[in-house]
Amino acid sequence: MKLRYPSRISLRLLAFNVLLVFLPVGGVLFLDTYERHLLVAQERTMAQEGRLLAAAIEAYDRFDGDDAQRILVQLEQRHLARLRVVGLNGKVVADSALLGPRLENGETAVPAGETQAASEKSLLYRLGSLPFRLLRGTIRESGSEHDTDISSDLLSRPEVQSALDGRYGAATRISPAPRRSVTLHIAIPVRVEGAVEGIVLVSQSTGRILQALDAVRLDVFKVFLLSLGAAVVLSLIAATTIARPLARLRQRAGDILDRRGRLKGGFAASARRDEIGDLERALAELTRQLEQHLRSTEAFAADVSHEFKNPLASIRTATDMALEDVEPGERRRFLGMIQKDVARMERLLSEAREISRIDADLDDEERTVVALDELLSALVESFRLRNADCGIQFDLALADAHVGVEASADRLTQVFENLIDNAISFSPPSGRVTVTLRTAGDTSEVTVADEGPGIPDEHRDRVFGRFFSYRPDDDAGSGHTGLGLALVRAIVESYGGRIEAKPRGGGGTKMVVVLPLAGR
Amino acid sequence: MSERIAVVEDEQNIRDNVAFAFEREGYRVDTYGDGLTAWEAFQQELPELLILDIIMPRMDGLELCRKIRSVSENVPIIFLTSRDEEFDRVLGLELGADDYLCKPFSMRELLARVKVLFRRIALGREATSGPEEELLRVGNLELDLRRYTARWGQTTIGLTVTEFMILHALARRPGHVKTREQLMNEGYPHDTFVSDRTIDSHIKRIRKKFVAVDDSFNGVETVYGLGYRYTEEPS
Repeated sequence: MKLRYPSRISLRLLAFNVLLVFLPVGGVLFLDTYERHLLVAQERTMAQEGRLLAAAIEAYDRFDGDDAQRILVQLEQRHLARLRVVGLNGKVVADSALLGPRLENGETAVPAGETQAASEKSLLYRLGSLPFRLLRGTIRESGSEHDTDISSDLLSRPEVQSALDGRYGAATRISPAPRRSVTLHIAIPVRVEGAVEGIVLVSQSTGRILQALDAVRLDVFKVFLLSLGAAVVLSLIAATTIARPLARLRQRAGDILDRRGRLKGGFAASARRDEIGDLERALAELTRQLEQHLRSTEAFAADVSHEFKNPLASIRTATDMALEDVEPGERRRFLGMIQKDVARMERLLSEAREISRIDADLDDEERTVVALDELLSALVESFRLRNADCGIQFDLALADAHVGVEASADRLTQVFENLIDNAISFSPPSGRVTVTLRTAGDTSEVTVADEGPGIPDEHRDRVFGRFFSYRPDDDAGSGHTGLGLALVRAIVESYGGRIEAKPRGGGGTKMVVVLPLAGR
Repeated sequence: MSERIAVVEDEQNIRDNVAFAFEREGYRVDTYGDGLTAWEAFQQELPELLILDIIMPRMDGLELCRKIRSVSENVPIIFLTSRDEEFDRVLGLELGADDYLCKPFSMRELLARVKVLFRRIALGREATSGPEEELLRVGNLELDLRRYTARWGQTTIGLTVTEFMILHALARRPGHVKTREQLMNEGYPHDTFVSDRTIDSHIKRIRKKFVAVDDSFNGVETVYGLGYRYTEEPS
């Protein structure tokens, strides 16, 4: 058993499918942009709350811890962020966190951290978020200025420093592990008569936003895993339905040629209804035709060699006899016989060569519109001249003029010359050979009729076969190779026509050639 | 009285030449251009020997042979074949041809075969054993050199003349290797244009005929690269 490697097509399919699955995963990166927007919105909200508180304190025209505390109490925890009011000495004078929990849930760092921790417990999440955590780790760390600044000295914080200078200050800090969470800190100066008297600190964990986004990421990751599984399964299915049959076809193609490069067997016709089935059927047809072609070539070669044996045997026996002690007259007869047989073999060779090349030759030939009526007139006239003294009469009946057939004039001449020659050879002395031309629909029909003995029914279809010759009263060495009509048929069929042998009314044979008219 | 030979062959030149040659030797020859005409004539009187072509119009040589064998099992029949496959068919069909020659054949070879076949017939009429009997015995094999017949134990093996001559050449000196060329000279003493593949197919047929009688027959051994030899089995 041969080791089975996954085929290249299977691997490629798998790669494509898996890549497609990764595309939505890439979309997760866009979530980061979304996250940034959310954080900006959160900061703005916090800044507003801070400014409102600062404005409320400023409204007293003095900075007093009790005022601040009162305002915070009056807010009744309806604000979103933790609000603290810090004096210039860094002391917290009011802290919303000390007044009880805020109304909205999940906004304090603690419960957010808990939920996040819960989801982080999931192995799936840890696995999926690993690359993102790595990525975020590098980005965040470079983005945060003093993430390790956790000193309790509020005044040393950068945002507080900016507020003390009368500016707006903001900073993001990451509380250290294990309860990692990001908190946004905003410091807003409280001015009394133009001077900074205190600072409003607004802080809120970004946990809710990050948690929501992480939940989305987790979902995307789940979808990714499902898609990955589906991609693998689909690839395997595709591999079995495409790559496997293709591999089988390749195997079969390798088996079709044996070691000596000979064709043996063929493709089995497939019942598949897809493209692979089509391919299989096309290959089956190809090999079938190839085999048929090879067989006919082999059969032809065998036929030719067989046809050579007879004249060879004749020559050999005649030679044997001529070498014997025979009368000079007999010797002359044998030598004449040899001469005729040599000529016959020569003709056989050239005709065999011609017939085996006819298809290739006809493809190369230039075809023009040949006027059949003119061609036949000229041909019959030349036969009349050549056979003037043998008493055979030639009749030509042209029912139509200007009958054009797309063909090579030489080949058509060959066809009708052959047929008329045949008719003459079968004709009794002073017989009549009749050539007629007529058109019917979009075809032309030429008949060549003789008054010879006719062809018996059982041979009528075989006369066009190669090497079939039916000449009951033939004299030896008349030189008929049995290829003439085969050649005629090959030519006629290559022009899209057909030829038939029919009995002629009143005895004899009628050869009917039907050719399509040009331009129809 | 001279023997009557019938030549059935559609190739007129061959027909005429064969007839001419045999008439010169003093035989009476009837010629026919196809099987059917010949068969019609044979209804009246069967000739004493037939030379048949295989591929002929109307009735081929094989069909004619079958018909003749249904009437007479003994009349010698020589086939003239132009294909090796035809050769195999003649034998494969167990038509009981006495010999066959491939076209183009040598006229002298044909004449010699006909003489052998007539001798076989003539001696067949005599008693099977006599003082002038020439027998070659090698183990179970017994060759009658005058009648050109072979026996394996008690069973007569129907060998053609050519097969007999090849087997005789081998069995004459058991254990000695004969090359294909030597066998060609023995099998076709009057013909120098025989292909060595012909010898291989004759050997194949000889083996087949003996194996049909005795499964364990292994007398004709192939010596690769050299030829064949007859191995004398322990009897």
